Amino acid sequence: MEPAVTTTGLERVFGEGDIAVRALDGVDVEVAAGELVVILGPSGSGKTTLLNVIGGIDAPTGGTVRVDGVDLADLDADGLTAFRRDHVGFVFQFFNLIPTLTAIENVRIIAELSSGAGAAESRSALEAVGLGNRLDNFPAGLSGGEQQRVAVARAIAKAPRLLLGDEPTGALDLETGRQVLGLLERLNREQGITMLLVTHSAVIARMADRVLHMRDGRIVADERNESPQPAAGLEW
Amino acid sequence: MSVLATKLRRDLLRNRSQVIAIVITVFLGITLFGASFDAYRSLEASYESVYDDLAFGDLWVSGGDVEGFAVEASAVDGVAAVAVRSQADVPMRPATYHAMLGRVVGMPVGDQPEVNAVLVIEGGYLSGAGDALVEQHLAEHYGISPGDSIEVGEGMVPLRVAGIVASPEYLWPAPSRQVIITTPEDFGVVFVADDLVTAVAGPGAIAQVAVRYDEGADDEAVTAALVEASTRTGAVDVYTAAEQPSNWALQTDVKGFGDLSFMFPILFLTAAGLGTWVMLTRLVVSQRAVIGTLVASGMPRRSLFRHYLSYGLVIGLGGAIPGVIAGAVLAGFAANMYTEAISVPVTVVRIGAMTPLVGIAFGIVAGLLAAAFPARRAVRMNPAESMRGVAPTGPGRPTLPERVFPPLRRLPASSLLVLRGVFRNPRRTFSTMLGVVLSLALILVSWGMIDTVDHLVGRQFEEIQLDDARVVLAAPATPSDLAALSSVAGVDAAEPTVSVRVTVESENGRYATSLEGFEQGTTMHRFLGPDGELDLPADGILLGLDLEGLLDIEVGDEVTVRAPALGVVTTERVAGFVDEPLGTFAYASLDHIGGLMTSSGAVPDAPGSAVVAGALVRYDDGADADVVRSDLQDVEGVLAVSSTSALQDVLNRFLGLFYAFVGVMLVFGGALAFAIVFNSMAVNLAERNVEVATLRAAGVTPRRIARLVTAENLLVTILGVIPGLAIGYLVALEFMSAYDSDQFSFDLFVRPSTLVFSGVFIVVVTLISQIPGLRALRRLDVAAVVRERAV
Repeated sequence: MEPAVTTTGLERVFGEGDIAVRALDGVDVEVAAGELVVILGPSGSGKTTLLNVIGGIDAPTGGTVRVDGVDLADLDADGLTAFRRDHVGFVFQFFNLIPTLTAIENVRIIAELSSGAGAAESRSALEAVGLGNRLDNFPAGLSGGEQQRVAVARAIAKAPRLLLGDEPTGALDLETGRQVLGLLERLNREQGITMLLVTHSAVIARMADRVLHMRDGRIVADERNESPQPAAGLEW
Repeated sequence: MSVLATKLRRDLLRNRSQVIAIVITVFLGITLFGASFDAYRSLEASYESVYDDLAFGDLWVSGGDVEGFAVEASAVDGVAAVAVRSQADVPMRPATYHAMLGRVVGMPVGDQPEVNAVLVIEGGYLSGAGDALVEQHLAEHYGISPGDSIEVGEGMVPLRVAGIVASPEYLWPAPSRQVIITTPEDFGVVFVADDLVTAVAGPGAIAQVAVRYDEGADDEAVTAALVEASTRTGAVDVYTAAEQPSNWALQTDVKGFGDLSFMFPILFLTAAGLGTWVMLTRLVVSQRAVIGTLVASGMPRRSLFRHYLSYGLVIGLGGAIPGVIAGAVLAGFAANMYTEAISVPVTVVRIGAMTPLVGIAFGIVAGLLAAAFPARRAVRMNPAESMRGVAPTGPGRPTLPERVFPPLRRLPASSLLVLRGVFRNPRRTFSTMLGVVLSLALILVSWGMIDTVDHLVGRQFEEIQLDDARVVLAAPATPSDLAALSSVAGVDAAEPTVSVRVTVESENGRYATSLEGFEQGTTMHRFLGPDGELDLPADGILLGLDLEGLLDIEVGDEVTVRAPALGVVTTERVAGFVDEPLGTFAYASLDHIGGLMTSSGAVPDAPGSAVVAGALVRYDDGADADVVRSDLQDVEGVLAVSSTSALQDVLNRFLGLFYAFVGVMLVFGGALAFAIVFNSMAVNLAERNVEVATLRAAGVTPRRIARLVTAENLLVTILGVIPGLAIGYLVALEFMSAYDSDQFSFDLFVRPSTLVFSGVFIVVVTLISQIPGLRALRRLDVAAVVRERAV
């Protein structure tokens, strides 16, 4: 079976000449479908860049990325937009909700504008993240954890095969962070969504099937976690 | 350079497109101010220079014992010079051209008069009784040069043209305050030896005294003393320099220019202030984490305030400094163009030392005022909250329309995004709306002027004056003479008419005008009152609407009408007021005027026909106006024919300059609208970078996002267009009032289509001005935005 994600010799250089920064420096990764992978590394190690390149919102300066058998280099801007619409969900550290829309509207707008999914899918997604009773709340009336759960619902409403999370608990306290991780864990286990989560917390990495360690734009270690810990039991 | 100065420089560079748009707006505003204000001052100075050099009079007194008045006037303290002369309106024929009605003005032979001298442009001054000096406008039109001949008077006395001259009394060649606009075919001025005036005009000659005051004299006191003396000597017409027709026309025009030199720039500077405010507010919001850190680190709030204030200062100065330079250059250019267009012989370019200073002060004040609010917002931020770096969220509640009409909440999320975007940042929405309002004001002021003048000309020449030509007859004619005019090929109808100079007096004032006589039931003139069409009464008179206020009279009141030329003083009932765009006249039936003259003995036992001094003629549809005019000229007894269409043409040519000015304003209005809307759109898009990036990351196409943004921008624009049209109309009303007078009734008229086009224009400008922002949206580096979470 073809891996969900394959990168080969992936490079991403920002700037030119003396000020060039090599954010990715020959990254080779394979992620199997349904795997929960945590990318761990210090700031500036290239983990967010790797996530963005895999998600098709950034283009590599070298190497290839294949997602579900599709070589992203073959896609033009419109193709990449369609690829993200059909295959990828993003969850960011800062929830990036639209403040003028309610929880359900924040989910619905992505569904409406991209996948064609409607109110039912949006409601289901919010119920799946435990916000069935906060559908009509505006972001300003939600806690940080709730906002992040709306962001997760927004990402899963269109039933993506790949979910990319960039420090999804970075802006949350321990308890709400645990809730969000538990939610992601459940979606991975129950719906088989392939997940790549970026974090700099080694504790969070314990819930993953695999942990990729990054440093200076390279994968320096690739560990398989034989017995992942439930998110609910994590402490940091 | 201090770190804050570096930050200032880099912030401005980072927002350079918006900064440039605002700086250009300030520049345009200050340029307009400098150019129009100094041009206005230069024009005033040019007129003053001509008036000083040629000893322009301060007071004119006609009729009565002019010699006696001249003696009394010379003895009044503050009088510098007194000149007695005659003048008359007589037929004249320049060279081989057809006859026309012109004015002969008496001058001393050999030496210039002490009051109202002339500037000899070509040739020489009067050296004998057979010489004539031709006023420059007449000479230019007919190509008259020194050595040519010109015939004047009913006997067409031939005179040698000694010189071509400019006169301070005819810089704008107006025969009277009632007839400010005329054509060189219908009116021209020739200066001749004083004795000749009486010789060619007979009893029609008017004796006149022109008085010039000492420099520094108390004008009001001198005028009062002279008016008193004129009453004692039986004068029939007295007017001051301010009322002198040419000077009145020029001063009215230049005053309008002066008013506009402040009004338009204020619009621009308000727009620039608005742009600065929007941009800086956004900057402060986006830098709230930085501001929090600076304050937490001990930076005095005063320094922070000064820092954000300095953005406004730099923008204000950035536009104002080049603006005052451009304004000074354009002022001289504008003044020269203007004086050349109306043949003022001297152009004085006066660039005031204060103008650049005031211009720069305007720029600075506009910039500082606009920056003060965002700067205050910056210093009021709570550092602890600001340092969290989380941008403020939206209002967190449904919008007002949704609360008023809850079913709106069931709209698709994309529609709600548009609707709530409008209410999300009330300040930005308000500022965009205000920008739209300002732009519409500028556009409607300009376009409203064009519409009003078009309407004014159309109303005057298509609804009120229905004649095609006015025929001046050599002698009072009988109806059979009129029949001769009617029989000319191409003439549809001819009616008798008379025009008599009169003074209308009430207890509250007096007004010099013309009493125009028509047949009752005339088809040549309609009498349109404020409440509908009036009939010319058998008894009593109709008066121009302005006299209702000027003389404080009402319909049914009685006024005294003096016609010194006919020796008539009578009391007349005001039968109604007519609302006419050009001039303020009195109207009566020919029979009524004939009766008055008969009873006064002016024309013994004359039937109504005996008072005919001319005829109004209407041509057949499709007739060749030039041919008919020429044929009319050949009818026996006809002295001159003046064409209404030629007058309309001249008016249109004169308005060409006006249209050019208004056209420039329209372009500026468009530029202003673009700058304002562009700025608001740029901020609108910049504020939602993260949202747009998130949508893009989720697979929403740039085109779809562009449609959402466009919908929101259009909604805000349309919200601004509605009050904008109303406010623009009111501003235009105020602007037009600067030109309104008893001679030109500039009642604002805006065509409905103008309102529609103005609204559409702003919408189109909105669509165009968001193109750069939408392009930027396409180029948005989604990865960078979500990585850096730039706000």
